[in-house]
Amino acid sequence: MPRYAMVIDQSRCIGCMACVVACKRENDVPPENYRTRVLEIVQGTYPTLTTEMRSELCNHCDNAPCVSICPTGASHHEEDGTVQIDRKKCVGCKACITSCPYNVRYINEEHGYADKCSFCQHRLREGKKPACVATCVGGSRIFGDLDDPESEVSKILRRVGHRVLKKEVGTGPNIYYINQYPKRA
Amino acid sequence: MELSITGTNAITYPVMHVWDWRVAIYLFLGGLSGGLMTMSAINYLRPGRKGPMQSVCCWQIPVMAPILLSIGLFFLWLDLERKLHGYLFYMTFKPLSPMSWGAWIVLVIYPLMILYALAALPDEVKARIKNGFVKNVADAVAPHLSKLAKLNVVFGVLLSIYTGILLSTFVARPLWNSAILPLLFLASGMSTGAAVMIIIAKNKEVKLFFTKLDIWLIFFELLVLALMFYGHYTADAAHRAAIMPFFNSSHDTFPYFLSIITIGILLPLAIVLKFLEVTGKHTEEVSGFGLFLMNTSAIFVLIGGAIIRFALVYAGQLSGYGYNMM
Repeated sequence: MPRYAMVIDQSRCIGCMACVVACKRENDVPPENYRTRVLEIVQGTYPTLTTEMRSELCNHCDNAPCVSICPTGASHHEEDGTVQIDRKKCVGCKACITSCPYNVRYINEEHGYADKCSFCQHRLREGKKPACVATCVGGSRIFGDLDDPESEVSKILRRVGHRVLKKEVGTGPNIYYINQYPKRA
Repeated sequence: MELSITGTNAITYPVMHVWDWRVAIYLFLGGLSGGLMTMSAINYLRPGRKGPMQSVCCWQIPVMAPILLSIGLFFLWLDLERKLHGYLFYMTFKPLSPMSWGAWIVLVIYPLMILYALAALPDEVKARIKNGFVKNVADAVAPHLSKLAKLNVVFGVLLSIYTGILLSTFVARPLWNSAILPLLFLASGMSTGAAVMIIIAKNKEVKLFFTKLDIWLIFFELLVLALMFYGHYTADAAHRAAIMPFFNSSHDTFPYFLSIITIGILLPLAIVLKFLEVTGKHTEEVSGFGLFLMNTSAIFVLIGGAIIRFALVYAGQLSGYGYNMM
């Protein structure tokens, strides 16, 4: 079985938000909700400022608090390591939303179930990449199988220093962030 | 370092706020009904109690406990986004999910509460029951009041402490993620339970007993509250940031600032009023002024308990790690 992960090369993100639009279009995300977002973070004291473009989405954590808190088993790990939601089992108690350190879950107001990024599970089954990855014009989002040593994500993570968000929470996220990776083919 | 976040759209600054007053009311009523279970059972079991068991006042308290818990659970049900799917809580048991535990614990607690309430009914009240089955059950369990009361002490504590355990397991919310939070909710639940005992009881001796007991419970509650803030203050940056809304009187955080000021006034004031009452001279009956002191302090305790739940439910959801630290 694969073990899916995403690498986000922040130096390649131009903040065009195409990933946000592609995700909403692909997954019928309600207008008021988002499964992915791009933060534009300005840090420092004028005039020495730096800007960071940070794409955020569900981290499909190995030790996912949303999975352990879910009282009905609706939030669960699939064999490919991704965290998915069985909508039929969801009661809409919102415990998973509260438990997520990354604030990436929402309630689908029309149907009442909790929802979030699924790594475009339906596309993966067809051998395609997630919509945000396929549409990323700067090549900032890289998706692949960590268990395959020849996959692009495995190679990058072997060669390049990387980080995960909110490591201190101990959730074991599977979205990796890198910077300055210009030599990628 | 100065940090600012700018974005081209609202999604660049996500604010999570999903649990509202309904959950706070549930936590308050859940803690209170746990307190009522324990306190009313203590009333039956305490060594200094006078008279036969069922004739001791306050048979209404064990009856109130399941009703208040039901109202609390009704508010929790109102908070569910898919209300008709509520039965799914009982289609599985998730050992790592405190919510799953809570759903199942309720099934154990309800029978205990109801049997205890029936066992505690005095004969004159039982005589008014028209339903034969209920009357028979009440007669059958009456001899077991002492055992049921002991079980209610334990399960009342478990119910009160559970409401805090639920929140304390959220690693993503530093304000809640503390092992001392269940103790705070336990102290608050027991204290509010004692407050209701004081208001409902007719017997002066019972009122005085719970007034004395509540002094200790409020002291314990305030101590735990102070320890929780101190623990957070000396912990990591996220925990420290999580308590800051309570100490910042700016526009955004004023309700939290006000809540801690109110608790800081109401609960110590309740201790003073109770102290005045228990150290005063007592006649056979409670004087009008004594009754005023007791009821006023009990109401202060109830308001304080409710404020603690509301403030913590809302402020906890503002807390987090990383950029969304308060």
